[in-house]
Amino acid sequence: MPDIFNTTAKVLSNEQVVSGIFRLKLFCGAIASACRPGQFVHIQCGEGRDFILRRPFSIHRKDGGGAFEVLFQVVGKGTKALSNVRPRETLSLVGPIGNGFEIDDGMRNIILISGGIGIAPLIFLADELLSGKKRLCVLLGAAGIGKLLYSIDLKRLVRKLYVATDDGTSGYKGPVVDLLPEAIDEFKPEKIYACGPEAMLKRVTEASKDLSIPTEVCLERLMGCGVGACLSCVRKVKRNGNEVLARVCVDGPVFDAKEVIWRNSDDFGGVTPHT
Amino acid sequence: MKNPVMTASGTFGCGREYSSLINLDELGALVVKSLTLKERFGNPTPRICETPCGILNSIGLQNKGIDRFIEEDLPFLASHDVPIIANVAGESPDEYVQACARLNEQDEIAGIELNISCPNVKKGGMLFGQDSDSASLVVNACRKATEKPLIVKLTPNVADIALLAKKVEAAGADAVSLINTLLGLAIDVDSFRPSLASGVGGLSGPAIRPVAVRMVWDVARAVGIPVIGMGGITDANDAVQFLLVGATAIAVGTANFMNPSSTIRIIQGIEDFLKQKGFKSVREIIGKAEV
Repeated sequence: MPDIFNTTAKVLSNEQVVSGIFRLKLFCGAIASACRPGQFVHIQCGEGRDFILRRPFSIHRKDGGGAFEVLFQVVGKGTKALSNVRPRETLSLVGPIGNGFEIDDGMRNIILISGGIGIAPLIFLADELLSGKKRLCVLLGAAGIGKLLYSIDLKRLVRKLYVATDDGTSGYKGPVVDLLPEAIDEFKPEKIYACGPEAMLKRVTEASKDLSIPTEVCLERLMGCGVGACLSCVRKVKRNGNEVLARVCVDGPVFDAKEVIWRNSDDFGGVTPHT
Repeated sequence: MKNPVMTASGTFGCGREYSSLINLDELGALVVKSLTLKERFGNPTPRICETPCGILNSIGLQNKGIDRFIEEDLPFLASHDVPIIANVAGESPDEYVQACARLNEQDEIAGIELNISCPNVKKGGMLFGQDSDSASLVVNACRKATEKPLIVKLTPNVADIALLAKKVEAAGADAVSLINTLLGLAIDVDSFRPSLASGVGGLSGPAIRPVAVRMVWDVARAVGIPVIGMGGITDANDAVQFLLVGATAIAVGTANFMNPSSTIRIIQGIEDFLKQKGFKSVREIIGKAEV
């Protein structure tokens, strides 16, 4: 059985890095040492009985000394409460949860493509891949320059960085996935990892499937128990020719892009935040 | 049972999911997620949403079906030292009967809980529990299909739950458990559509506790069989309320989402309460509320 802890973490810092996006640094040795890129923690965002459901957050980074970070956008009640926690406060956490990204030691050329807050798990993954001496090409997408994160750090650390913004205030004007075909052509990746809005992930899958490039996507879902028991967070996937229901919390959140059933309509879809 | 704390069906999967987080052997009993004869996919997502001090859910009884449960999950459960109670649902009396007959063959199952009123199934057949006569019909038929202890789970969405309880007792129930979820609806004011894909769902959590306590109080005075109380229990004090109004055991559901160790904390909390008040066992407080 994988290591999972029901424990507390001490808040070290909580900073608004760009408008509406916070980076929360937590100290918890058990979770920090056990966690892998692509996994998440399930955080109780407030005291008492008004917060029944925890909220899941990808692990964003860890420092090797017992601390790790989550990066989150304020979208509803839980994230609003979390944005107000102060250093030295204690948070209740369950984690690390999930399957994590699969890293193939034999692969050298890797593309990471990120849309918006999808950057959260990809930085942890990038750290891991870079320490394994992989050659990285990163495609970074954001609404505008005011929401762009890590472009300077990534430019320094990776082989090639593409930037796209919806409003054109930085880099290419348009969806970041528009740049993927060119990136694939130039970089010739052996694997693609993607995290971001579903519309983006669907297009990433189409691009990579045509070229048979192994691709993993990191999904999210409204969750209940977060440990695989309640079946709130299911998603239809194709396995062995059948359509089955996978639990995004423990069977994911990382999936082989070819397995995911990307629909136009919102059957088994929906990530409306709690308000 | 080594203590009066059980898991509420649907919130604890089949136990395996929580086994890395708590010691299953410490539970009074483990009630698994509802089983149906055939595999069910359940409802589209979103299946859950948070409400003030509660949650609305509409999972739709997704489960792998009884046969696969027996083959894939029962051996794991049986390897533990905790009574296993199989919760059963169906779309017709015959489905319930067949399910009971199948489970009756399994020695590892300590009891069967009949889910006759889950609000999250669309075919209309699941509302047996809202009519005393059809509830009695199902219980009667199931009674003939199994010798195992038969617990009937009652819905609160009725006008007179005590009457319903009396009818199922007469039909052969060995115990009743209540309450199941309350019907509820949440609308997203940006999309104008329900927060749950299926629309109406079941409300659970702290918000329903006073409704549940009142109903347990009513039912415990109306029947002679044991009453298992549940509905919004998050700590030992909540649990004690149910025991004081006549429940002989309690179940913990939604609280497991707040904290996966809730069951264990409540078991310990009840012991602490008894010790603190000078009682030697739970039996001394059952039904002792002066209402």
